[in-house]
Order: sequence, then C-alpha cells, then structure tokens
Amino acid sequence: MSTTVKIDPLTRIEGHLAIRIEVESNRVINAFSSGEMFRGFETILKGRDPLDAQQITQRICGVCPISHGTASILAQETAYGVIPPKNGRLLRNLILGANFIQSHILHFYHLAALDFVDIAAITKYKGKDPVLQDLKAWVQSELSSNVLYPAAPFLPRFSGKYIQSTKLNIQGIKHYLDALDMRRLSHKMCAIFGGKVPHAATLFPGGITEKVTALKIASLKSIIKKLQVFIDNSYLADVAEIAIAFPEYFRIGKGCGNFLAYGVFPESADNSIKLFSSGVVVGGKLMAFDSAKITEDVRYSFLSSLSGLRPSDGQTVPDPHKNGAYSWIKAPRYNGTVMEVGPLARIMVDYLKGENQKVKDLVNGLLARLDKKPKDLVSTLGRHAARAIECKIIADKCVEWAEQLTPGQPAFRDFTIPESGRGMGLTEAPRGALGHWLEIRDYKISHYQCVVPTTWNCSPRDDKGNPGPAEQALAGIPIADIKNPIEATRVVRSFDPCIACAVH
Amino acid sequence: MDITRRKFLELSTKMAAMMGLGATAIPKIAEAMEQLSAGNAPVLWLQGQSCSGCSVSLLNSEEPGPAQILTGYISLLFHSTISASTGDVSMQVLNSSIDHGGYLLVVEGSVPAGMPEACVVGGELFTKQLLRAARNAKAVIAVGTCATFGGIPAAENNPTGAESVPDFLKKNGISKPLIRIPGCPAHPDWIVGTLVHVLKFGIPQLDKKGRPKMFFSKLIHDQCPRFADYERENFAKTFSEDGCLFMLGCLGPLTHADCTLRLWNSGTNSCIKAGAPCIGCASEDFAASASVPFYRKTTLSTEE
Repeated sequence: MSTTVKIDPLTRIEGHLAIRIEVESNRVINAFSSGEMFRGFETILKGRDPLDAQQITQRICGVCPISHGTASILAQETAYGVIPPKNGRLLRNLILGANFIQSHILHFYHLAALDFVDIAAITKYKGKDPVLQDLKAWVQSELSSNVLYPAAPFLPRFSGKYIQSTKLNIQGIKHYLDALDMRRLSHKMCAIFGGKVPHAATLFPGGITEKVTALKIASLKSIIKKLQVFIDNSYLADVAEIAIAFPEYFRIGKGCGNFLAYGVFPESADNSIKLFSSGVVVGGKLMAFDSAKITEDVRYSFLSSLSGLRPSDGQTVPDPHKNGAYSWIKAPRYNGTVMEVGPLARIMVDYLKGENQKVKDLVNGLLARLDKKPKDLVSTLGRHAARAIECKIIADKCVEWAEQLTPGQPAFRDFTIPESGRGMGLTEAPRGALGHWLEIRDYKISHYQCVVPTTWNCSPRDDKGNPGPAEQALAGIPIADIKNPIEATRVVRSFDPCIACAVH
Repeated sequence: MDITRRKFLELSTKMAAMMGLGATAIPKIAEAMEQLSAGNAPVLWLQGQSCSGCSVSLLNSEEPGPAQILTGYISLLFHSTISASTGDVSMQVLNSSIDHGGYLLVVEGSVPAGMPEACVVGGELFTKQLLRAARNAKAVIAVGTCATFGGIPAAENNPTGAESVPDFLKKNGISKPLIRIPGCPAHPDWIVGTLVHVLKFGIPQLDKKGRPKMFFSKLIHDQCPRFADYERENFAKTFSEDGCLFMLGCLGPLTHADCTLRLWNSGTNSCIKAGAPCIGCASEDFAASASVPFYRKTTLSTEE
C-alpha cells in the first residue's frame, strides 16, 4: 500500500509549486509536479506594440527578468533585421551575467541551503563576529519569548538530518548573511547599465540605451572583483562541503538524464559563438540542437488548446476544470523526449563538447576532489555543483567583457519595426533554456509563445504519459519520514524551479 | 511622534472614503490603526499572481539590509520565497498565524477573481486564503503594481479576471486600514520605509489612492534629470539619445514616484537616467490598455 504525501506549497523556490509523491516502503514510487498559478502573458501580449514585449515579458519573472527581456529582444531583432553594435552585445552579456550571478547566489544560499544547514546551530556560536553574535542574541530572545513562531521565518521547518558539525553550520549561516550582500551587489552591477533591476529599463532591440563611460566600467569591475572573491572562496567551497556531508545526493535525484541547452552569452556579432554552447545530450551522446524539434503537450495541463504544437504555432487556452489535468505547466518535449535544462545541462553540453577548457578543468577538478565520476554529476548535488562552476565562469568572463567595452562608442543601433515579421529568441535563464516565439502583423503582436526553463524541468506527464524531469528525479528516492519529506524538497530545489516563469 | 486619536479618526475617515465604505467603518479602522502603532506587529506575506519581483526588490534593501529587517523590525511569520518551512509545516504556520490574528498582511501579486483556480496555495484557492488572512489582519499593505492596481495580470485581454487587492477586498466587504505601494517592482525603500513607519510611528500620510505621500506625491517628470531638456524642447529622437524622452513615449509626466531622485539599486541608476523612457510602472494604468504602447517608436517609423 502506498501513501500519498503532498508537499504544498513547496516553498523557497519562485512561485506556486505543489509536489505530490506516492511513497511505498519509504521509497517514492510516483511523483506529480503541479504549477499552481496562471496569468496568461501570451494572451495579454496579443495585439500590443511589439516593443512592449521586452518589458512585459520581463514581468513574467522577478528572479530572471533579464533572460526574458533578452529572449524577447532576440526574437524582435530577427524580425527587424538589426544587430547591436559591439558595446551593445557586451553590455547585454554583462547585464545578463550579473543577473545570473545574483540568481545563482540567491538560489544556493537563500533557497536551497536551509535544507542542509542547521540554522538553529547559531545558538552554539562562541565566536566574536558581531553580526553572528547579534543573530545568536535574536534567536535566543525569540526562543525564550512567548511569540507564536519564534525565529520566524527560519523556524519551524522539516525535522531531518542537517549538517552535524557546528563549525560548518556557523560557516553556512555566515555565508547565508554574506550572500545577501553579494546578491544585492550583483543587482547593483546589473543596474549600472540596466537602469534598474528587477525589470531592467535599458534593454531594447538594437542594444542598450545606457552609455558606456570609463567610470561605469571601473564601478562594474570593482563589484565583479568582490563577487569573484565570494564565489571562489565561499560558494564553490560551500558546495563542496555539502557534497562531502551528503554524498548520497550524488545518487539521489538523477532525473531523465537527457539535457538540452540553447547556449548563451554571444561572443560574436552574429550570435554563432557563445560562452556556453547549444546542444542536446540523449543517452550520454551529444547532438546538435534543432529548434524545429520542440513541441508542447498539454494532455495533463489545465489548457484546452491543441497538444503537440510547435511554439511558433502554440496556443494557450485555459481550462481550469479540465478532466485529468493536474498542472498549469505545459509539457515541452524535444523530438518527443523528456529533457532537463539548466546549469547542469549547459555544463554537460560543454563538458562533452570538450572545447571549453575552463569547463573541463573546473568539472574535473571538483570531481577529483570529491572522488566522483562525470556520471555522478547527473544528480541533486551535480546540479548544485554545475551551478557554482558556471557562476565562477560567468564572473570571470564579466571582467573580460568589461575590458572590451569602449567608452564613447554606441551601444545601440536604431531599427524599424516592419508591418509583419516573425522571430525566435533563444537564450538561457539561470535555470535553463529559454525561448520566445513572436509574430507581427499590422505592426502589432499577433502571436507570442514562451517555452521557459521550468516548463521543461517541472513539466507534468506528456501525452504519452512520460513524467517530466523533476517527476522522474523524485521517483525511487528514499523518504525516511513521510511527515518530513525533506529528501524530496532537496531534489526539487536542486532544479531551482521558477513557477511564475513555467506557467506565465 | 505618536499619532493622536483625533489624527487616527481623520485618517480613518479619508481611508473609509477611499475604500468606498460608510461612516460605520471609521471607528473600526481607527482602532486597528491605533493597535498597529502600539507595537511590532508580526507580518504575514502572501503572494498571489506575482513574479516575486517585489520580494527580490525588497532583498535589495541596503540600509537596513534584509537580515536587519527580519531580526530588528518585523517578525516575518511566513513568506513563501524565504521561509524555512515548507509543505504542511508552512500551512500550519499560515493557518495558526491567521487564527491568531493581529498581523500586518502584505500582499504581492494580483487576485484571479474571474478564474480563482488560477492561483492555489496549499490546496486552497488564493482568493479564499486572501479573504481569510485579510479578515484577521490589523492592516493590509498591497506591494507592487499587480497588488495595488492589478498591473500586467489585469491588463486588457487577460484571461483570469485579475483584480487588485483593494478592489477584491472591497467587493468582498472587508474594511481594513490599507496602504498601496505601487511600482513594478516596488522600490525597496518604499516597502521598508512604509513598513517601518507603520510599525514605529503608525500609518504614514496617504494620498487619495492610499499611497504614502512621502514617496508618491510628486510626478517623475517634475523631478526629472532631463527636465531642462524638456524646457528647452531638446527632445531625443531615438532611444539612447541625449535629451528629453517625452517624444519616445516617456510616461514620467503621468507617473507619481520618486525614482529619478531616489534612484534604484543602492542609488545606482534609474530608467530615465539610463536613457530609457519611463513606462509608468508605478501608475494606476500601467500596461492596462493594449492600444497604449510603452514607447512611441512604431508610430514614428510608420509616419516617416
């Protein structure tokens, strides 16, 4: 007899996710992922001015707005026939890169780490750091008070096996606090040329409206330096510590094992060379990516639109009472196959491709240190490790991009919006491959579809009944205590789900 | 700076009028406001049809930073993005906090009034959860343009019948002290400044729409770094050019907020400063009509 366990809401992710697992003899035998919030962006965009799109679609997600703005702009640039000048391309990489860094730091420390770090360990702190002493005093006064939930929002939580070492826990807590400053700084870096974040103002087809000056380049480089120190000394080290403390998570949460990346951070004007490559990995083999192979199933989604359509013809017609449906998320598939997207997918593609020496060196270095093999990366811990490695590569690359900027040169090239046109914008969000499909008729948006990272990762079953990547990653994992299914939350959070994105 | 009973009544009268409520609601509102200013009310943060952008923006608060806010100013009972609790534990915290009452309710995101199934939390329709939480709240703060005015989820052609939090509560006969902090996202200073004022000094002065006057009393245009260009009719003809951005569709002349003076991300920049026209993200009509574009580029191109 199996027991159904609901984890609803699954917090410390972006948005409204409910996970249902069927547990038998302390093992998950079946899992269901439900996106629980719908707004209808694709319908709202219809009939609007095409230039509204990069602003409206940024509001799909407050964690990765820059990626949506970028996808929208790339789709528009195809339709308008414009490419940004060199400064524009570099600024886009820097704005997007800064937001990747803030998102990855936020995800690891503020969303995922509390599944591993025992925050209550602060009461055992004996050191002299005034910030930690303050935190300890606060937690102690809360615990001795008669408030309803002392030390909220850090307590209560699932009981379970957290890190045992007080030293490691204190280090985790210290870095949780440091990371608050680091992600704020990443956003400050983003705003130097983005105007403001979340929801940057300066992103336009043709480039960036902000001007390049020597002072702005210097400010940006000053911030990157601080971020590099944190990523190198804290983030990468903390991921390794968690990997050492929880080695079983190199086996738990494997998922479908197929990976898809569109590639991101163009290094050439025509978008053909990118810092992270596009590619598809099925059964351990790397193949070239073909956008025509993307379709979206909706059999189990609260949508009455046709199933199996390509995004260029996709529809989004809500049917909240649909029989058999259990999620607002569609089920995108590549050539009919379930695909995981995200930092692990990007790292796997480049690792197998073997041309990016830095990816190879960092992955091999970490694997050697932890005595693991490349296949172990396909796991809960592998996702965290890939994210941290990628974060370092991006931060280091930001220095190079900043140094390639030329003050006084334009970052924007003017364009004309045609009466009709089509465009596809493929990029990556921090949590995976992101595509926007646009059609213009009579100077207005006549069609808009977004296929978003978490649409892939947290998708429900497809028409053939194949579970989505997160659903597959949950199947078979151990659950020690069905009242505290912390193992399942660790697996799901390793995907860095964003439900506002996934459903939009 | 204690607010006297008379001031509470004055403010409550204005608030009741703003919410379209009768005179009978005034003493109730005044009482709630008085209670609220007496101590550090716990905070319950709910997300409806939101992108979490206002929560991310709040994390960008520098002085005080998020850790100081959480330990020194508010007791954040529940916040879906930050809380250590998850699943059933979250629902226990949420339910017993609501039963206990006496908190400040912050809402981010709009309400899918026309399609309640479009937002579900812990197996409960968000519409029901919001009413339950609002009934026992001392006051409600709508954060961000979606919650305050409906924003993009409530824009023309939206399929979910999305509404702002104040509209939804009013329709359901709930009268509570209410503050609107618009912005897409809301600036961290607007959120923190309002919260701290409420907790330490009582409800701040609000305008007719319920926005704190200290942040929203002036038009962006009147505080614009490019105002001299406007006066001299030195208009930018395309994006990234110097000059006033009015001809490109800048909505600064219609939008009440202090972005251009306060600046975003620790005083780093603002939309207009960075060469991008204001799209009016803090205004009541933000993105409301499909036929009113953010920019005037298309029109210029087709006329040429």
